[in-house]
Amino acid sequence: MNMRRTVLFLSVFLLVGLLPGQEEITIRITEGMPMVPVAMPAFQLDQAAQKDDAAAVLYETLWKDLEFSRIFKMVPREHYSYIPALNPGAIRFKDWASIQANILISGQLELSADGRVIFSFKVYEVASERFIFGRNFGGKKDLARLIAHRAADEMLKHFGEKPMFTSKIVYVSEAGNDRDIYIMDYDGHRPTRITFSSAMDMLPSWSADNEKIIYTSYRNLSPELFMFNIYSGKTELLSSGGSNYAADWSPTADRVAFTSSKHGNTEIYIKDMKTGAEKRLTFNPAIDTSPCWSPNGREIAFTSQRGGTPQIYIMDAEGSNVRRITMEGTYHDSPAWSPDGMRLAFVSRIENRFDLYVYNLKSNEIAKLTENAGRNENPSWSPDGRHLVFSSNRSGRYQLYLVDYDGRNVRQITAGGENKMPKWQKSAK
Amino acid sequence: MKKLLLVVVALSLVLMFNACAKKAPQVAPEGPVIEKVDEPVAQVEKPVLSEEELFQQKSLEELNKDQVLKKINFDFDMYAIREDMKPIMQANANWLLKFASVEVLVEGHCDEKGTIEYNIALGEKRAEAAKNYLVSLGLNAAKVKIISYGKSKPLVQGVDEASYFQNRRAEFVITKK
Repeated sequence: MNMRRTVLFLSVFLLVGLLPGQEEITIRITEGMPMVPVAMPAFQLDQAAQKDDAAAVLYETLWKDLEFSRIFKMVPREHYSYIPALNPGAIRFKDWASIQANILISGQLELSADGRVIFSFKVYEVASERFIFGRNFGGKKDLARLIAHRAADEMLKHFGEKPMFTSKIVYVSEAGNDRDIYIMDYDGHRPTRITFSSAMDMLPSWSADNEKIIYTSYRNLSPELFMFNIYSGKTELLSSGGSNYAADWSPTADRVAFTSSKHGNTEIYIKDMKTGAEKRLTFNPAIDTSPCWSPNGREIAFTSQRGGTPQIYIMDAEGSNVRRITMEGTYHDSPAWSPDGMRLAFVSRIENRFDLYVYNLKSNEIAKLTENAGRNENPSWSPDGRHLVFSSNRSGRYQLYLVDYDGRNVRQITAGGENKMPKWQKSAK
Repeated sequence: MKKLLLVVVALSLVLMFNACAKKAPQVAPEGPVIEKVDEPVAQVEKPVLSEEELFQQKSLEELNKDQVLKKINFDFDMYAIREDMKPIMQANANWLLKFASVEVLVEGHCDEKGTIEYNIALGEKRAEAAKNYLVSLGLNAAKVKIISYGKSKPLVQGVDEASYFQNRRAEFVITKK
């Protein structure tokens, strides 16, 4: 069955090895610093690798990851022709300094007879002519993209950042009348279907350990919560009665916040995933929905219509100390707490448009992320908090897009059919 | 003299005309004349089925297809039953009270001018409002179930206010009779 393939696909191990005999240095970058210029000349390829496109896939994927990071700035390839080609054995750092590279990546790729890629890369600081760190990766050549993401994550880690390029996005894909849950890489590649029901499956979200996905399905007629375990392939029913949706897993404990109408009205509940005990958090005749945990697990942002129109509120995780966050506008929903705990992204409707906004909880400033481009919905932060994924119908049907925290670098990552309701993993493994 | 001439001319014209008329062909049919006689039709009238008999005869699908229960529409972002929808609700309630064995599922739907999560809640409020209205008119609450589809099942695809109005609705699906 296809679920088994998913399990295999996600549990592939890559060999990661430190390069021997060289001391490693970690460099830390604080936010607001200018991006670090990185040069990455073509990899050294052995004869087999020269005849295979795995090398090009790996190189391009790594390049695009680093370019996407907002940490690194890639020195354009055209500039490399001004200087002699890289000799990995005797690097002329002055040449690389002359084209404004601060960091140099020297990569080497071999392809074994059984179709395995061995990729090793070394990272140098140009000005000090120092070796910073290096890694070896091995894996089947059809995992070239994954190897590149792992290498890019190593770069992030060594520059003091959270890894994110191996993180995944779960979303709903609709082709014809079928609406099922899929998982894909952060850049939209390697989509894998995980639900196969003829009923509607929707609003998926990740468990804190990234091993389970909770989603809402109409397969039992009424919308119920189901939990799918990626590694065992098992699915279990979590809810009972009423409509149940918008689950969000606490980042700090095994607790799931969700919306349910099991006692008549639409309220927010918490389920303890170890004991199964449930606790109701809201007691209000209005609609309360869309719960979202703060990264420290102490608070929950949510949408409530208790003031007449849907607005964003925050409460303590026990349901007390409710305070309203959005003061202007008549329609807000889908709060998403940034990983640093400082910002809330949400959707705001003005006239007949939905745009994404980011509210800074410290400065009380609001920034608009999208502008005059159809309906933009369901924002979800990247693990490093520098990017968001969201759905938009700006090009006709709903597709998924990425945008940076400041509204820059919008790019479409899905095409075909209709794709929506994305949730980014809260951490990369 | 002139008068005589006129009379002669007139007479001759009349004679000519008569002659022509007499020459009109009277062709006898060659074969036997077949006269078409309608078969005597027995005037069997379709039996007029009573509402009860129709109800007995029709399947659940047919009853739902015939829309014996009419859908109602809602105002933007609202879930109160509109005044102009109350007669429809009264008619629905009357029908349901007449056929007390019927169980009904009230589906709440929204237009696309809302977010996915909030629309599920709003659709449920609409279904609940419709259910409560039926119950207030004497229906047994146990016979009425509700479900919300939010904005995931629009009736029409238009992007104008008329289409949105059609999509903001509660539908009444007969699930048992």
